[in-house]
Order: sequence, then C-alpha cells, then structure tokens
Amino acid sequence: MTRFTLTPPLIALILAVILFFAGGLINPDFVNPAQATNIVRLAAFLGIIAAGQTLVILSGGEGIDLSIGAVVTMGAILTFRLTGGDNSLIWVGLLASCGAGVVIGLINGIGIALLRIPPLVMTLGMTGVVQGTILVLTQGEMIGATPPLMRQLIAEPLILGIPGVIFIWAMVGIGMWVLLERTTYGKQLFAIGVNRTVARFSGVRVQWIVVLTYILSGLLAGFGGFILLGFAQTVFLQLGNNYLFPSIAAVVVGGTLLSGGKGSYWGTMSGALVLTLIDSLLRAAGLEQAYQLIVFGVILLALIVVYGRQRSLRQ
Amino acid sequence: MGSSPPNRLPDSWAACKTMALTLSARSLVKRYGGVIALRDGSLEIQSGEVVALVGANGSGKSTLSKIITGAVVPNGGHLLLDGTPIQFPNPQAARKRGIAVVYQELSLIPDMTVAENIWLSHEPLRFGIAVNRGAMRDRTQALLDLFAGTISPKLQPDTPVTALPPDERQVVEIVKAISSDPRLIILDEATASLDTNQVNRLFELVKTWKEAGKAVIIITHRMEEIFRVADKATVLRSGESVGTVTIANTDEKTIVGMMIEGAVTPEQIRIPTTALESHVRLDVKRLNGGRLRNVSFTLHDGELLGLGGLQGQGQVDLLLALFGLIPHSGEVILNGKSVHFRHPADAMKQQVAYVPGDRGTEGLLFIRSIFENMQLPSWRKYGIVHRRHAARKDALASAADLQMVYASLDDPVSSLSGGNAQKVVIGKWLLRQPKLLLLGDPTKGVDVGAKGEFYALLRQLTEAGTAILFYSSDDSELLGLCSRVLVFHEGGIRTELSGENLTRANLVAASMGTAHEHD
Repeated sequence: MTRFTLTPPLIALILAVILFFAGGLINPDFVNPAQATNIVRLAAFLGIIAAGQTLVILSGGEGIDLSIGAVVTMGAILTFRLTGGDNSLIWVGLLASCGAGVVIGLINGIGIALLRIPPLVMTLGMTGVVQGTILVLTQGEMIGATPPLMRQLIAEPLILGIPGVIFIWAMVGIGMWVLLERTTYGKQLFAIGVNRTVARFSGVRVQWIVVLTYILSGLLAGFGGFILLGFAQTVFLQLGNNYLFPSIAAVVVGGTLLSGGKGSYWGTMSGALVLTLIDSLLRAAGLEQAYQLIVFGVILLALIVVYGRQRSLRQ
Repeated sequence: MGSSPPNRLPDSWAACKTMALTLSARSLVKRYGGVIALRDGSLEIQSGEVVALVGANGSGKSTLSKIITGAVVPNGGHLLLDGTPIQFPNPQAARKRGIAVVYQELSLIPDMTVAENIWLSHEPLRFGIAVNRGAMRDRTQALLDLFAGTISPKLQPDTPVTALPPDERQVVEIVKAISSDPRLIILDEATASLDTNQVNRLFELVKTWKEAGKAVIIITHRMEEIFRVADKATVLRSGESVGTVTIANTDEKTIVGMMIEGAVTPEQIRIPTTALESHVRLDVKRLNGGRLRNVSFTLHDGELLGLGGLQGQGQVDLLLALFGLIPHSGEVILNGKSVHFRHPADAMKQQVAYVPGDRGTEGLLFIRSIFENMQLPSWRKYGIVHRRHAARKDALASAADLQMVYASLDDPVSSLSGGNAQKVVIGKWLLRQPKLLLLGDPTKGVDVGAKGEFYALLRQLTEAGTAILFYSSDDSELLGLCSRVLVFHEGGIRTELSGENLTRANLVAASMGTAHEHD
C-alpha cells in the first residue's frame, strides 16, 4: 500500500545512523550503547523544545518563533524559584512554566494574526520583553533549587537504564503525531501553511488557528524549560538561547518546508538527532570550540541547501 | 463639459503632431494548449482614428489586444506596423514603437508614488544618468492636470499609490500610458472603475488625441461608450473578426447581431423547471457589497439559476457575499431564516457550499493529498481524534461517484489533470451534501469530456432538490442548462431572462447594458 520513498525525515534518520558509526572512526569509544543513550537523551531536550517550532513553521505565513529560547529560560527559572527544590511543589513549577508559555504564545499569536505584525518581528520583540520580565522578577538573583525528584525522573536512568526524558520525548512524539495527522486542528494547520485563501474558502478560521499555534509553541517551550531544568540543575539568563537556532535547524533538517504546509514532527525528531550527533562528533573530534561552530554552521547550510531544492516542486 | 480643453501639455509634446501610424492585424492566431483563444484576429487602425473592439466573453478581444501590445506572442498571422511586418517579443518593445496600453487590472506598484509609477523605466534624466526629480514632478503635475476638476486634491505627484481610491489609480494608469507620448493608445476596459466626470474627461481627451493624430483602440463593456467616441467598431466572435462597421452608419442592434452566432444553436440540455413551485431556498433583497448594487432575487430548491453577463460585473461578488467571504449589507433569507454570514464556516453550518472558479488560488492545496483536499471542509464530523477509515471511505465513495481518475488518494492533487483536479474541488463540497450550492465558473479550463460529466452531475443534484446558483463565463452553458438567467451589468441585475426571452441575442444585449425589450 505505502510505497517506499526516500523522504527527508528518512534521509535525516539514515544520516543520523551513519554519523553515529562515523563517530567510531574518529574515536573508537564513541560507538557504544551508553553513548547512544546519551545522545538520544541530549536530542530529547532539543526535540521537545523544537516541537512548538515545528507547528509554527508548518503554519506558513513566514511563521517562526524566535521567543522560544526566552520562554525556555523563563520556564526553567519559574520552576527553579517556585519549587525551591521541594519535590512536593513540582506541579506548581510545571503549571507555572506551561502557563507562562501559554500567555506569551497568546500575545505572540494576537500580534501576528490580528495586528498583522510579521512573526519574525513579533517574536523577536517578545524575546526582549520576556528577558526583561525575567530580570524584573528575579532582580538578577537566581534564587531557588531543583527538586531532586525532577533529576531522577528526567535526567537519570529510569527503566532499563533509559532516562525519563526519552520516554517523555516519545510521548510528545505520539502526541504530536496524533495532533498533526488525526485532528481537525492538524489538518487545518497544514492547510493554512499551504494557502490561506484556500483554507478560508474551505471554512478554516485562519486567524484562530494561527493564534492557537503560537499558544501551543509557547506551551511546549515552557514545558521544555521545565524539563531542561531537570537536566541542567541550574538556571542562568541565557539557558534557553542555545536551543533557539537548533530548534529551527532541527525542523528544517527534518524536511519541513520553511514556507509551511508540509512536514512532520518525526522529521523534527530525526533532525534533532542529527544535530545532536554532529555536535557530539565535533566535540569527540577534539576541535576547538570556534572550529566546532564553523563546521556545525557549514553542515547546517549544506543540509538546508539540499532540502531547499524541494521547494521548486511547489510550483 | 464646460472645462477648458487641456492645453498644458508637457513640453516634450509641444503641440507638434504625432508621427503618423498605421497598424493592421491580419488573421492572428493564438492557441493555449488545445484551446484556441484567437482563430482569425484582424483589425485595421490608423492615426486619427478611434476603433472599438467588441465581442462577448471569450471572443478573443483581450488576446488580440495583448498581441498588439506585445504581452502575448501569436502562433500565426501577421502584425503590420506602418506597412512592415513586426512581432513584439514583450510590452517594452511595443512601447518603444509608440504603442501604450491602459489595463483595467492595475499595473501600478502600490508602495511607490504617483510620479515614480508614471515614469518607471523611462524617468526623465539629467546628464543622461541621474533621475531629474524636479522634471519628473513637473511633468507628472502637467499630466494630472489633464484630469483637473475630476480628481481630488490629494492626488499629487508625491502621493503614494496605495493612498488612492480605485478610480484615481485608474487615472494614474491612464496618464502613465500617455506619459511616453504614444502613437497608439489601447484603453482596455479603462472606464470600468472611473466615475461619470472622469469618463467624460477621458473622452474629451480621446478627442484631442485624435486631433493630434494619435490612434485609439477602445475595449469596453458599455455599448453606449462605443457610440460616444468610436469611429469604427471591429466585432469579434468566437476568436474571429467578423467585420468592421462605421459607427455613424450603424446601430446597437446590428452590432449585437454581429456578436452572436447566427445559425449555430448549442445543444439544448436545459434542465426542466418544475422547481418554481418548490420551497424557496434563498431570498435575497437589496444586497450590496463588493461590486454589488441592490441585488434582489429568489432561488427555489431544485432550481439551477444562471448568473450571466460579461466577466467581473458582480456575479462572483454575489457568490462571495452569500458565502460570507466579503462584507455585505441587505437581507439574505436562507430557508426561511434571515442570515448574515461573516465567515465561510458560518455559511457551511447552514449547508451552503461554494465552488470557486480559480482552482489554483482558491480551491486546492496542490502539495497536499487528494484525500486531505476532499476532507478539508468536513474533518470536524469525524471526531476529535479522526475516525480515519470512515473519512477515507467517504472520500473514496465521492471520488467514485465523480468518476475521478487517480492512482491513490494519498497522491498530491498536483498529480491530477485539470478536469480531475476540478472534481476534487467539487467533491469536497458534495461530501457535505449542501442544500445551496454556489458555483463560480466551475468549468473554466476543463476539457469537454469532463464538462459533459459535470452537466450530468448538475442535473442529478437539481433532481435531488439542491438549489444551485451557477455563474458561468460561457454563455452557451447558461443557455443550454438554465431555465432562468440573471444578467449582471456593473454590479446590478440588468435583467432576468427566462422562457422565450432566454436567447443568445438577449443575453449578449443585456451583457452590454443595452436596453432590450422583453415581457
């Protein structure tokens, strides 16, 4: 029934496997189950954070969420501070980080869908607002602690030596698949990504879908910040920034069109694996930090150029 | 009138007469794939003449004018300019030889100023390189002064085009065309968005151009305008020039007679009208919005009501308003209830469906699958987490009903032929079993075989009691299928044709806005 075709997510996944074994050539210690688990664990954080970015990019209309990094930071700091290291207050942290994400996403969505501010400008501006808010709330002092249970549930081996975050990522993956492939929201999201006029002519309330998409993006980023705290154990103002650019790159490497309307979350998951592997490989190769960055950037550009060729199919 | 004749022409025009011109188009042919847009396009014009180009929808008049302006390259025939054969590869080449055109679809760049738009690509230069902004401004002012008194003071050389209303944009479009001091000016439906004073001024100008030795081709949907300004009329019918008449020696009736095919009558597949005693599905009273002006009519269950007239006279606006796509006022009574739809989703809840004419930009998501396209309006009914099998079964059944030819429902729509793609657009609405179906020129660009199937489908639907509002740019479809046709002209219903009165002659006459005798 389904014909076998080499889709971008599959290419990314194959690339991930090749990269993993290529790592063995550079450093024989690279290829072992513990290392594999570790890489998937690292990719899981990026993957969860990039889930919202996937939705935003799919929505088209030059959709992009640059506020993700700041929201991740916000989520982590809120959890850090509100729990104060108390296991019984984890749910407060979870609600606060997700709630903050929803509010920020709602404002982004209103600015973009109703006030027609370009997503790039709106979410970039929002980054500044969120960072400023963090400073106001914390007065620059990072008081608080990470509840020990979060570390155990997220970062440490949970079942069969597999860390909890990998299970969480798998659940996010299933949830995203259902959302995109089995709900009206998902189908309408693809539709507005391809052509908003056609979507409207088919009864889709385009602006509502756009607002909802930015809300989901904020929610997932806030949740990502919560999860990240369980791994990082500490917070600082730039905590989430390192995930912003990779979150976009993971989506694109996973084969989702930057112009929207076509793509998948499992592509983003593969993309997150590829990016994490490249990063780990470059570290294993013992390159200086500066060269790591350069090589990482060049590989990304190369991948995007290769995928960019698809876009001509749209015409 | 009363205004002084415009004599403050730019210096470069300096009262001197325009270089003489003769242009003749002989047996021009233009094919698009298998469709022949122009079979035998011929036209003669020379300096000091105003020739009207007339024809019904799809008669080839815009194709002919586009060949003359270099926008379309012909497949055959000859174009002679001043006696020598010529073919313009692009509009710039035609403009260099003194041919300028004013289109109804505006070609202005909204974010640039009036002056910048007018002088785009032929800016007055200082020392041959630098744009002389002062001269550009002055000359623009001189050009705009030609319309002084009919335009608002806001229309200045430095006004951005985006700040102008449609009629003043059209004025800018006109002065842009004459800014290059052309020998031949083509006015393609240029009066459609002008008000009466502006039209009067334009026609005064046409007379001065004529006296200055320019040639003018005018394409208009208003018969009255032809008799006001033209010296001759060249009539096109089904892509052929059928003759040229001198306006002084003819009347409207003769021209209309030339526009319609005399002997050939289309096969009558008219759908029987038992509908009029049935339930009133739709009652529209004084509907305004978009181009619509006080449109009122009723539509019964099981009726196929045609919307005719030349293109762009408000037929599509009516469908858009009824589907909640454009703001509108007036009363719409659907199934006995007063409704006001602000979004298609509202209309869909009341079992209204709209099949747009432009598949590419309004009907289909080309990179998505046939399945997703067909179910896009209907997903909600398959639950919060979709019952995928049910959705698929429904789509398969609909595709089979429509005799759609495809490999897999998961293939992208872009893999389908035009006729099959159109079936997806129709199928996605039939899945919702609409009670009121709005059709916006649904057979445009569809092959003959698929058209036949579509006509049969319309019959099935009306027999099942669906009320259909059917806009078609193909007059023979309206004549062949509908028992009642509303003819639109400039946003209003010019007349309603049915029974004996529903003839091609009456349809064409009403399309051109001429008075015609019926009842």
